[in-house]
Amino acid sequence: MANQAYVWSELRRRSGRTAVTAIGLAAGVGLVMGIVGVSDGLTSAQNKVLSPLGSVGTSIIVTRTVAPTTSTTSSSSSSSSNPGGSGFGKGGGGFFARGIGGFSGGSSQVATLLNNNASVITDLAKLGPAGTHFTHDFFVPGTLITFPSIAITDVSKIAGVTSAEGALYLQALHETGTVPKIVASVKTGGQTINTTVTPPALTAAQKASERSCILNLLQQSGVGAPSGGGGGLRKFANNPLLSQCLTPAQISYEQQVVVPERTITQVLNPPTTNISTSSFTVAGINPANQTSGLVTKSQVTSGNWFSSGSTNQILVNTAYASTNHLSAGGTLAINGTSYKIQGLVSPTLTGNVSDIYFPLATMQKLASASNYVNEVLVTVKSASDVKAVTAAIHRDLPGATVLNSKSLADQVTGSLANASKLATDLGGALAVVVIVAAFLIAGMLTLSNVSKRVREIGSLRAIGWSRSSVVGQIMAETVGIGVLGGVLGIGIGAAICAAIGAIGPALSVTETGLSVGASTLGSIVHQSTTGLITTQVHLTAPIHLSTIGLAFVAALVGGAIAGAAGGWRAAHLAPASALRDLN
Amino acid sequence: MTGTNTDAHDEPLYRLVNLAKQYSKGGVIVEAVRGVSLTIKHGEMVALEGPSGSGKSTLLQLLGALDKPTSGTIELAGTDLSKLNDRELTKLRATRIGFVFQNFNLIPTLTAAENVAIAMVPNKVEGRIRTARAAELLEQVSLGHRFDHLPSRLSGGEQQRVAIARALANKPSVIIADEPTGNLDSATAKEVMATLTSLKTLSGVTVIIATHDREIAGMTDRRIHLRDGSITEDVEVERQSAASTSE
Repeated sequence: MANQAYVWSELRRRSGRTAVTAIGLAAGVGLVMGIVGVSDGLTSAQNKVLSPLGSVGTSIIVTRTVAPTTSTTSSSSSSSSNPGGSGFGKGGGGFFARGIGGFSGGSSQVATLLNNNASVITDLAKLGPAGTHFTHDFFVPGTLITFPSIAITDVSKIAGVTSAEGALYLQALHETGTVPKIVASVKTGGQTINTTVTPPALTAAQKASERSCILNLLQQSGVGAPSGGGGGLRKFANNPLLSQCLTPAQISYEQQVVVPERTITQVLNPPTTNISTSSFTVAGINPANQTSGLVTKSQVTSGNWFSSGSTNQILVNTAYASTNHLSAGGTLAINGTSYKIQGLVSPTLTGNVSDIYFPLATMQKLASASNYVNEVLVTVKSASDVKAVTAAIHRDLPGATVLNSKSLADQVTGSLANASKLATDLGGALAVVVIVAAFLIAGMLTLSNVSKRVREIGSLRAIGWSRSSVVGQIMAETVGIGVLGGVLGIGIGAAICAAIGAIGPALSVTETGLSVGASTLGSIVHQSTTGLITTQVHLTAPIHLSTIGLAFVAALVGGAIAGAAGGWRAAHLAPASALRDLN
Repeated sequence: MTGTNTDAHDEPLYRLVNLAKQYSKGGVIVEAVRGVSLTIKHGEMVALEGPSGSGKSTLLQLLGALDKPTSGTIELAGTDLSKLNDRELTKLRATRIGFVFQNFNLIPTLTAAENVAIAMVPNKVEGRIRTARAAELLEQVSLGHRFDHLPSRLSGGEQQRVAIARALANKPSVIIADEPTGNLDSATAKEVMATLTSLKTLSGVTVIIATHDREIAGMTDRRIHLRDGSITEDVEVERQSAASTSE
């Protein structure tokens, strides 16, 4: 219908009109691409943050934490000052055991947790004689209760589960200082014991023996019959031999005195020490699994992944490494053992981000928790299985906390969430406004062009071009401009997206951390409450093939709409208009 | 596409009977053409003369199948144009009528050859043949060397010759020329008229020229003078006595 050479000539030789219209369309299309890119960028940033589990190849994290009901108990931690709550033994060694008393009446969960945290209630004396300088790392699970390793097997048997990987995620307390001298002085002795002793009654033979002995003495002292003179009787009474007449039991005997029981209670003042504490987080992971777990091989930023069979190797979080001036290939001493820093890793922002990662067996050994894990990372076959698997885990492991992406997503707030919402709400509307404006501009430019070509178009009609041919010609021209505008627009859009990526405005994300020592047991461990984690994500504006396709189609549609407007105008030009312009 | 002048020569090319055309202009009825009856033979070169508002442009539009009469009949080679619809009129223009305009009306973005070729597009002539015929026609109007030039790089006379070549592209029965020399100096005007005359002689095409210019009108075979929409004079011209005439 349209003549190709004519269309090409029009576009080429009316380059101003072609360029202006194409740039108009291109600007619109480019802006829309930018908007779509930002929107996609926000979505992917949100997905990145919201699906931390997915990004480590995990769909579900299973942990056990103390049920919230026990928090009422924990609030009474002030009772730890009550000496009645803890015995001497505990009080003496349990420098770190603050708050222990408060849990004495808690549920079995609490008991389990306390048991798990008990490693911290360490007899400092074991570190050396008082006054010895020590450095020691204590590993405590905080609020996460351990599972026996068998739980992993249980979970892996659930239908829909591809794999289940155990991890031991712990809070490490790095203590340095001097072993305190702890002395308890208890004063005893100096007691006065009063006892009333009643001698046993005399037997008849003893009485007769005593009587004959006394009578004999009376005769010797000349007292004679008892009716004798008083002087003789006094003499008798003073006779030292009188005591000889007494029965031996009346002279001396054995008597047991039982002193009444009593408890000596003494409040011990905590010893003054120079112990300083810093905490960091550690995790034991399966070094054989490089694709799913708390950290994956793809997250290694420098150095290497664990070499197989290694026990004395660690991976260090890049953030922790830079703060502590550690680098891959270096070593880190923990409790007297030197660990080689095999690599630095940059794990995902959410989930349980640790500062140091050990092979699981090493971690279990360090924490004296052989065959125990406190996290099970579950991979499911497909996203649709997540719900069913979550329910199954709840059933098989009562009391377990099961986190999936959705439950994590619900915890996210901050500017990213706001921006994403804004992009969803306004981005679409803005894109429509921009594209409509671009179409209007292209349409008006085309109408103006047709108006300038009244005589030309009238002439075409006069020499036999049909209405449809003329409309087709105008349409072909504007669609051609649309193609050009599309290509230009894709360039502009790519530039906008690249610029956004280069500037990379930061978006903050606040989420509830999964970390150890959430508020309920915060008092047990030092500095353990992590609470809310705020992270920053840099916005990028990715360009997808579909966006490019959309942009191109939009430009073509814009060209077609403009052509329809111009064509409508052209179709209504009378062929005689070619003549009418005459004088 | 039909060949040129296949019609029997005893049939006139045009037969106008009591032709009338009225316009409504600003609420006022303008009778542009009133009761014109006329026949034009094949191969004639006719000048339509008359002052502005005499109805010559309107009559030219009716002859060119650009417009339909209000009443009366206008037959082109036996076809009553008043009974054709827009599409049929367009088709007729594409096959039987060539146009030459005062302002040349070439497509400014197309070269001389393309401007000629574009006229053959409605008749679905193959591109290669279009180009070949355009070249041939440009040779005929002595513009073979201007083949690839844009109109803006051609003189007025050259442009008008391109327009004549375009008008001939579809081997029409008639060329309708509206003040073809109106924008040209007299020397160029004579050249253009010479071109038209020679082509007419060569191909036997009928030429109808609306003009103010008595000298131009004098170069035709027949002068039809219009005033207030009616024919006031219709004379055959003796070519040699070019000085003859007027109202």
